[in-house]
Amino acid sequence: MARKRPVQTKIKKKSRALFVDPSMLIVVMLLLCFGLIMVYSASSYEASVNFSDSTFYLRKQLGASALGIVCMIVFSRIDYHLMKKFAPYLYLGSLVSIILVKTPLGMTINGANRWIRLGPLSVQPAEIVKLALIVFLAGFICSRKGQLTYFRGFLKCMIPALIPTLMIYRITRNLSSALIIAGIAVIMLFVASPRYWYYILGALGVGGVGFGLVYLVGSGILPDNISYRLTRVKAWLNPEAYASNEGYQTLQALYSIGSGGLTGKGLGQSIQKLGLVPEAQNDMIFSIICEELGLFGAFAVIIMFLILIWRLLLVATNAPDLFGALLVVGVMGHIALQVILNIAVVTNVIPNTGVTLPFISYGGTSILFLMAEIGISLNVSRAQKAD
Amino acid sequence: MKKIKRFTINMQRKLVVLFIIVLAAFIALGYKLYTITRDKGDAYKRQVLSQQKSSSTTLPFRRGDIVDRKGSRLAYSEKVYNLIVDSKQMHEEEGIHLEPTLSAISSSFPEVDMEALRKYVNENPASRYRVFAKKISYDEVEKFEELQKASMAASVSADEKVGTINGVWFEEDYTRKYPYDSLACDVVGFVQGNNVGFYGLEGYYNDTLNGINGRSYSYLNDDDVMEDSIQPAKDGRTLVTSLDINVQSIVEKHIKLFYEKYKDFAREGAAAENIGVIVMNPNNGEVYAMAGYPVFNLNDPENMDEVDLTPFMKSTSSNTVAVSDNSSAEDTLPETVSADEAASVSNNEPEMDDLTKAKNAIWRNYCISDSYEPGSVMKPFTVAAALDAGKITGEESYDCPGYLEVGGFNIHCHNRLGDGLLTVQQGIAKSCNVVLMNIAFTMGKEEWLRYNRIFNFTLKTNIDLYGETNASSVAFNENMGQTDLAVASFGQGFNVTMIQMAAGFSALINGGYYYQPHLVTEIKNTDGAVIEEVEPKLLKQVISESTSKKMRDMLKTVVMSEPSECTGWSARPAGYTEGGKTGTAEKIPRGNGNYLISFMGYVPADDPQVLCYVIIDTPNHPQQSESTRLATTLNKDIMTEVLPYLNIFPTEELTEDERAQLTESQEAFFVGSDGVSENSVSEDNAETLEEGGDDETIVINPEETVSYDSAGKAISQNEIRYDEETGYPIDPSTGEVLDPVTLLPVNGNSSFITGGD
Repeated sequence: MARKRPVQTKIKKKSRALFVDPSMLIVVMLLLCFGLIMVYSASSYEASVNFSDSTFYLRKQLGASALGIVCMIVFSRIDYHLMKKFAPYLYLGSLVSIILVKTPLGMTINGANRWIRLGPLSVQPAEIVKLALIVFLAGFICSRKGQLTYFRGFLKCMIPALIPTLMIYRITRNLSSALIIAGIAVIMLFVASPRYWYYILGALGVGGVGFGLVYLVGSGILPDNISYRLTRVKAWLNPEAYASNEGYQTLQALYSIGSGGLTGKGLGQSIQKLGLVPEAQNDMIFSIICEELGLFGAFAVIIMFLILIWRLLLVATNAPDLFGALLVVGVMGHIALQVILNIAVVTNVIPNTGVTLPFISYGGTSILFLMAEIGISLNVSRAQKAD
Repeated sequence: MKKIKRFTINMQRKLVVLFIIVLAAFIALGYKLYTITRDKGDAYKRQVLSQQKSSSTTLPFRRGDIVDRKGSRLAYSEKVYNLIVDSKQMHEEEGIHLEPTLSAISSSFPEVDMEALRKYVNENPASRYRVFAKKISYDEVEKFEELQKASMAASVSADEKVGTINGVWFEEDYTRKYPYDSLACDVVGFVQGNNVGFYGLEGYYNDTLNGINGRSYSYLNDDDVMEDSIQPAKDGRTLVTSLDINVQSIVEKHIKLFYEKYKDFAREGAAAENIGVIVMNPNNGEVYAMAGYPVFNLNDPENMDEVDLTPFMKSTSSNTVAVSDNSSAEDTLPETVSADEAASVSNNEPEMDDLTKAKNAIWRNYCISDSYEPGSVMKPFTVAAALDAGKITGEESYDCPGYLEVGGFNIHCHNRLGDGLLTVQQGIAKSCNVVLMNIAFTMGKEEWLRYNRIFNFTLKTNIDLYGETNASSVAFNENMGQTDLAVASFGQGFNVTMIQMAAGFSALINGGYYYQPHLVTEIKNTDGAVIEEVEPKLLKQVISESTSKKMRDMLKTVVMSEPSECTGWSARPAGYTEGGKTGTAEKIPRGNGNYLISFMGYVPADDPQVLCYVIIDTPNHPQQSESTRLATTLNKDIMTEVLPYLNIFPTEELTEDERAQLTESQEAFFVGSDGVSENSVSEDNAETLEEGGDDETIVINPEETVSYDSAGKAISQNEIRYDEETGYPIDPSTGEVLDPVTLLPVNGNSSFITGGD
């Protein structure tokens, strides 16, 4: 093994227990604080109009962030190996939480039935599933590592991922979350398996089907009334033609990005957030970042995420065992996927679908579970030194 | 212990591959961001700014008031609200706001069609702007806003997410109100659509009355910060007019009474085709009252339910222009067909077209928009011209055999038997055509036409009202022959408007000074400060002072002579001296027995203060040519009530008959049929009324304390007792009898009252 370990032996046990990856922690805290600032900037107008309180969203996000930090500390202190035992229960619990959406505990916001109520909090099961799947799949792959060489083994490992994927898609009608959940599983399996070719084939296959569908929709061969998603694809291909309905959000986001220029209008100076970009503090927050902080600000955010992903890669590489490494790979895949999809939606590279920007977008559940994932990663980073 | 499964080097390699893919994706997205900014940056910047502009809102101005000479508001604008429905906001958060909002609307605004609203909201969930009710009063809006406040408070304190009243807002607007409904409708005019005035003062002074809309908008300042800015609306100006609502209501009351009295009198139908009355001050051109018939409600000008349209449905044009040239008068008629009316015309076109014509005929002001042959009221103009030009001295006498042969035709006098030898004065008093024809021939055509121009019969008077007709081409005929001149001398064969006649006649009797007739005396801003004072406009001297004096003397004999010696005796209001001239003009086509009768009178005869011109077109009378008395009586009725109100005091002693008549009419009046103040005494000029000298108590409204309720009725406040013997007022505090002129206590019991002149 190419890993260097001479330093570790010199570190005393007590200080070892405190040791976490400092760069990752700093980047995460920076993103979190930056997120709070941007949520306040993007939401204050809407909040003061709708709730007569410009800090309405900020206060909720602050609470979620504080809870998230507590969660991160807790997960970073609990030995991640313990989680392996609880993984099946966590996994099953997350599946139950999806079903709870259909019970009286479920909540409907903006016409989407995607939340469950837990006392004063509302929680999105899709976020629970992401964490549960990462933990469960990491353990699952560890126990079936040898089988991944074969395609059947790969398929077997995909089953625990496909169940929640289909449930999220069928029950909560949330395609983007379903895709992210499936994507996390594929990434974890890709890293764990020694093969390349069926991933390449799979990528080509999915890409081919996607292009084919887009071609059919774009050329008008498919009738419009099959699904509202088809209209979204059309709006994606030509947002100006759907400027007043499906293409509105995308177009306004593009206007924000374009009008920001190189250096932006300055923090808090966005015009588009004044009721023009829907979900400005949420899915579309990146467009407000572009408008206020310009390309520099946008690149800075992308670079921060890149640093975070790089640190996760290092933690995974230095993990003491496969389970820890796969946990971190899952977290890394989760964050990378959401960042890429979010920015791709905002820049109209892919059709519009609701994906939040990790650590920055408004959303309590998302922050809470992301911080838990970071806690797990920090825990793994601590363990690598202990070995 | 189980062997620890390691993260193999192969896996690490794949992880690096994954990182490279992620990095590539990030770079690709970064490049996309860069290209958006590079290629579309400027276009999107403009787009963002242009979207902002649309957020500015208009702040409506308030149209100015129209008030009468005492400050009573004839027209004003009241703030109202338009209800705007934001369907999208109602549907937010799963539509929990929808039901509370709709129920609040239905309880606060009963005029909203809830079914239509519900349908619209359900079918257009993305709509952000739709006006659903117009001209809502502030009271209703306040009620709604209280409901809204309560619902907001409830939602804040509630644990669960509850629906609030949302997605409704209000736009300010103004609506025009006419508190006296139909009073002076032809003079005031009305407003349609977006503050566009039609007819009357509303039409003529549209730009003065209108202000400039304000604007509330957001803009980017130099630091790219959004700033809100409000450009307040500039309200319109207020018009102070010379109209007097009391004089106007007296006039309109008597016109109405006339229509009631002579309906179906000689034949089935209305009392007359039309009646026009102008009351004005002959010394400065200020119009006190101007009325026609029928009237309409200014608050609802399209509603003709209470108007008898039959005379207007048959033939609207034949009664307006008597002489050949139709086009010139028609050209200047205001064209008003409201849009919604035009839309509804299609299904039954001919009938609706008639209705539209009838409406326009009713909306127009007869006194300025219609022209007619003046008849004998023209005679004083001919005589004044001849006197002023020195063609006659006024001492001449002419023999009247009852007709004069001109160009092979016998042109008859009113009295076909002839009156024998007549002086000029008698010619006027008896209205003899032969005398006038002889005078006109003495003058000659050129001189007669020259004076015609001097008296302004060839031009509009430029009175400040919308829709004045120029009757010049029918009045002014350079190629007139001897016959034309002969009939023109007594007012046939050419057309004039009432306001032309009244303005010219004022000049004849006031010393020869021709004032432009006008209504607006002051223009004020919103703070009540006078911006423009409109002085009486003296245009020219048409005849000399001495000629005017001679005319007054002659015109006095028309009314003040023995009934057998004059035509206008029945016009005199009891207690006053009056001068004037009757008119009876045969209408075209001749020989049908249709006449336009008129009387132009002024009081007092020697020092004219009030001029009243009455026209009755085709009276419902068995012998129209003999019906001049209808016009003189109408003049008398109006003058009898108007004169005391205008502080013009009687100078003549009353006969027993007159006294009895006055008492009777006063009693009828004070029982309260109409409620318009008949007598008014100002504090510094308390004057008794002789006819009130019996043992009766007269209710008097001192001018300063007269107040009006919303319907324009005067409310009496003071009672003054009069001495039974002398008719002098009694000081309420001391019980002493006061001299009516000096207001000093009088000793002795002289019953002689000195007249004004």
